[in-house]
Amino acid sequence: MATRDDLEHWLARTAQGDRAAFGALYRHTSAKLFGLALRILKDRGEAEDALQEIYVKVWHAAGRYRVNGYSPMTWLITLARNHAIDKVRRRRAGGGALDDVAELADARPGPEAEAVARSERGRIEACFDELDADRAEAVRRAYLDGESYADLAERFAVPLNTMRTWLRRSLLKLRECLER
Amino acid sequence: MTGAEKSDDDRALAGEYVLGVLPPEEARAASARIATDPEFAALVAEWRADLATLADEVEPVAPPARVWRATERRLFGRARRRWWAWAAPVALAAALAAAVVFWPSFAPRAPVPPAAPAYRAELVAQDGDLRLAAAYDAEAGTLFVAREGAAAPVGRALELWIIAGDDAPVSLGVLPDDPATVVMVAPELRAALDGAVLAVSDEPAGGSPTGQPTGAVLATGALTEA
Repeated sequence: MATRDDLEHWLARTAQGDRAAFGALYRHTSAKLFGLALRILKDRGEAEDALQEIYVKVWHAAGRYRVNGYSPMTWLITLARNHAIDKVRRRRAGGGALDDVAELADARPGPEAEAVARSERGRIEACFDELDADRAEAVRRAYLDGESYADLAERFAVPLNTMRTWLRRSLLKLRECLER
Repeated sequence: MTGAEKSDDDRALAGEYVLGVLPPEEARAASARIATDPEFAALVAEWRADLATLADEVEPVAPPARVWRATERRLFGRARRRWWAWAAPVALAAALAAAVVFWPSFAPRAPVPPAAPAYRAELVAQDGDLRLAAAYDAEAGTLFVAREGAAAPVGRALELWIIAGDDAPVSLGVLPDDPATVVMVAPELRAALDGAVLAVSDEPAGGSPTGQPTGAVLATGALTEA
């Protein structure tokens, strides 16, 4: 497993046009991003196309990685997830586009925001466990499947406004738990 | 609305924004706030980092080798060499145009690419609309830059920057509307060119008022030995 330092080093070298570093970055992160693209797109051919497009974006945007303050995995996962979800939504011809990497670079939260997020897997899992099962499922489906409020309202058979109230409350509960 | 309610509202909004569930007009408004409201931007950053850990629940799947081959072909395949080939004709056309306009008076030195550049860089915008080819003439201490594609919109300028290592970007000036130009590289920068990154940003007419890029970075590329 590559460390955060490895990933940052490869991204910095990629930004300078180092193909070997880009290759190393691909070898160590592509299985994770491909799994994510498969989960979101639910189609192997489309996920393969998406993965190509994602790494083309990584190559071109690597120079902007350092200014945005995210951990390399947060940056790569967000880039891959948003790209795959945009693809699903274009397929369905509905819903707005998610951030592109350009916008992601503009958030500039600073390194301390990332540290404050203290986002180890165990913590977020424990906080999801504090939510009612179906509410946790709704947040997961929005993040990992790109489902919209309309999709979620249909799935849980509640009016759209109720769905939104649920999800917003769940987010606040999660945030409160994560900050505890 | 009290302060606490307001920040709760923002916390939830930032989460909805990162999840991508907001209706389009609310998403646009939230996106615009990120640029102007650092507190909101920090909330968005927290959600991005926290929610990204959900990806750990997804089983990694090794992609087939053809994906890497196709990615490499797309980035470094024949297109790359073909792409460099347009820079010389662009410069030649510019030189000819200058020669025609100024003939028979003394022709000003129309920009020509160095015959034996020490370093080259290729800068391609993500959407492919703007492409620049740069070549550094070590003897003259000048950088030849050919541009193809989008010029700056009216009232805006394209500014060229050089970033050496961890240093802050240093301006190489605003690019003229001409398709090719030559810019001086300050002597103190010349030693740090290997691996330095060139970048073009969108700036107000006349260039960045602050001495650092203020607008979107449109294209970047590293200088590598030619």
